[in-house]
Amino acid sequence: MEGRINQSRRDFLKVAAVAAGVSAVSFVAVSRDELKKLLVPVRVEDLIAEAAEAGSPLERRAQEREAKLKQWCQAEAEKICSSMGEDSEACKEARKRCAMIKVKATGPREGVRFAMALDVNKCIGCRRCAYACVMENNQARNLGIEWIKVLEIPREEMEIVYANMHYTDAPKPNMVYVPVACMHCEDPPCTMVCPVKATWKEPDGIVVVDYDRCIGCRYCITACPYGARRFNWAKPYVPVTELNPNMHILGNVPRQIHVVEKCTWCIQRTRDGGVPACVEVCPVGARVFGDLHDPSSPIRRVIEEYGAFVLKPEAGTRPRFFYFFGPKRTPPREPGTERETGH
Amino acid sequence: MTADGSFLDTIKFIVREALLNGGRRYYLALIGLLIVALYGMYLWIFVQHAPIFLGKEEGGLILTDLSDSVPWGIYIAFFVFWVGVAAAGIVFGIAAYVFGDKEFKKVAVLGEVQAVAAIITVLLLITVDIGRPFRAMILMPQLPNLRSMLDWDFIVLTGYLTLNLIGMLVTVHYYRQDKPLPKKFIVPFITIAAPFAIGIHTVTAFISQALTARPIWNSPLLAPRYVATAFASGPAILLLALYLAERYMKGFKVDFSVYKKTLYVIVGSLVVGLYFTLSEVHEIFWYTTEPMKKAQAQVLFLGYHLPYLAKMMWLWIGLGIAAVILGILPRVHNSKKGIILVSVITIVAVVAEKTMTIIIPAFVPGTLGEVHPYYPTALEIGITAGVHAIGILIYLLLARPALKAVMTHYFKGSGAHH
Ligand code: SF4
Ligand code: SF4
Repeated sequence: MEGRINQSRRDFLKVAAVAAGVSAVSFVAVSRDELKKLLVPVRVEDLIAEAAEAGSPLERRAQEREAKLKQWCQAEAEKICSSMGEDSEACKEARKRCAMIKVKATGPREGVRFAMALDVNKCIGCRRCAYACVMENNQARNLGIEWIKVLEIPREEMEIVYANMHYTDAPKPNMVYVPVACMHCEDPPCTMVCPVKATWKEPDGIVVVDYDRCIGCRYCITACPYGARRFNWAKPYVPVTELNPNMHILGNVPRQIHVVEKCTWCIQRTRDGGVPACVEVCPVGARVFGDLHDPSSPIRRVIEEYGAFVLKPEAGTRPRFFYFFGPKRTPPREPGTERETGH
Repeated sequence: MTADGSFLDTIKFIVREALLNGGRRYYLALIGLLIVALYGMYLWIFVQHAPIFLGKEEGGLILTDLSDSVPWGIYIAFFVFWVGVAAAGIVFGIAAYVFGDKEFKKVAVLGEVQAVAAIITVLLLITVDIGRPFRAMILMPQLPNLRSMLDWDFIVLTGYLTLNLIGMLVTVHYYRQDKPLPKKFIVPFITIAAPFAIGIHTVTAFISQALTARPIWNSPLLAPRYVATAFASGPAILLLALYLAERYMKGFKVDFSVYKKTLYVIVGSLVVGLYFTLSEVHEIFWYTTEPMKKAQAQVLFLGYHLPYLAKMMWLWIGLGIAAVILGILPRVHNSKKGIILVSVITIVAVVAEKTMTIIIPAFVPGTLGEVHPYYPTALEIGITAGVHAIGILIYLLLARPALKAVMTHYFKGSGAHH
């Protein structure tokens, strides 16, 4: 009896050793460095602090990413140059952009609270903002990802079920155009549901995604009432000749496959004091961006002067993207083109 | 050889019985399942190989029909179904140890085996669904992130899996040595496992129930409905397994009362499930003022944009009612064949109800009114089939030793024990 038990113990130990060996091998195969970095539990507060302080792990990650990106970019540029010739336009462009690549990890500024507003009366549905956003934020050209969706909604009923985002001509007099991107909600359901805390809200109100942590479960896409999040269903591709070299590690660095991304209010610009690309590019000046805490900022003026509303207030997420009906319509309404409103 | 007291020997017994003591047909079944499983795995690697295995740029989930509009599809749909089946595995245990039914004691272990197999299927389905599964493993230490329902679900699922593995091991351990189960074990076991069973399905429903972004899920009936129909499909699958075990295992006999009492549970749960559906239909088509919910309900019940959804929904209603009516006919519920027929109908009905018709309508039309239909591709179906093959394989591997142990204890002298 005694001998048998000892025998089975020995057997058990043997099996355990083999199992441990196999799991060790498989862990090493997944890259041990990465494993060590990620094998620590984190709190969202830590992540926010990390993003805020200088010399943080985030900054280190940004530098590593920058080096890698440069390498990749130069390799791509080499390819272009050898196939199209050293003094071709594309080659020069690619070289220039590679040299300019900079990945920042700028933290939020104290006391700033960003917000954006859009004049529904002005917007003509030209979709230039969506296009500028693609270029500015290095969005995948092969996946049809666009962070901004422009909805065409019947003027008399602002109901999203009747929205059409695949219209071909605009503006139409009986329609309003409602661009929708991430609303940077005050109570974002998307960050709440993330099982691995890969996404959170920064103190300045920008909701960010850490692409290195996201596991691609797509729960946040399911939770967002504004359809703001996009998933990289395949490896995203951005031609180096169109690469925006001004990058932020939590913003527009080129994404990996199978991670979620979304509008960050151009974190790489706004944290340095600029405005988002969509605001800059809008031909009719429909967009307003600024610091909600600053009494002299345009966003405050707009809200106080016109009054603003948000989409789907019933979702209870308290968006910080406002809509308002400004003073003028562009283009002017032509008489006789209004829809019958039933009286 | 006399069976002795160590658990290691029990594990050895299970392995031996599972792998070495089968007939020709048994091995053929194993090999068949293994082939399907490997093929599914191969397909999955083909989808995923880009990021994980080769670092290549092709591949990725884009090969499925999922999109930003419909980010969850057939994998998550079947995930919901199997969580239900796992939860209902406890029905035999409750009948046996709460109500002290002797006949159920003989088969309670099958419920545990079913729960183990179903939960492994469930975990595999999540794994094939997420984009970066290895990263998910690495991030496990984040786990008690109790704000995310997904984490709760992971915790209760693995908890329930562990519980059932222990339950199964202990049962096999004692029965194999021809000893009854000790009260010290079974009382706490059933007290924890029974609420856990309801818990896993409730939490799974909570994953979607409270998302304001998806109006059709915003029904307080979603979780109860999950549980109700689970208690129809789970026992139905158990009965089917019992029936097959009786046919293919020499000397294994189950009392007819087990079939009949389980049928009561099935019919009762079906009635409750159908009643919930009726209640939701009333709310949606008569009174709801939420236009998105109405639009999504039209996709679900009337098949706008996605005709197959409506077909499945009406299949559930039609077959559900049929199963209830058949179940209450004396001619049917007094024969084993009749009960098995009702079980099969129930399984089909609940598969129709608990899979695509729960997941997909919430995304069509999407949050911004966009209509993007979803049809599972052959690739996704293949991967799902592969995962199911693994589940059935585990079921088969564990059920035989478990039932053999039961036979040692209850059918002494029937010549079943080697
Ligand atoms: S709009 Fe969507 S993605 Fe953006 S913060 Fe709100 S819930 Fe999150
Ligand atoms: S997809 Fe990524 S960011 Fe979204 S919930 Fe899952 S892990 Fe979090």
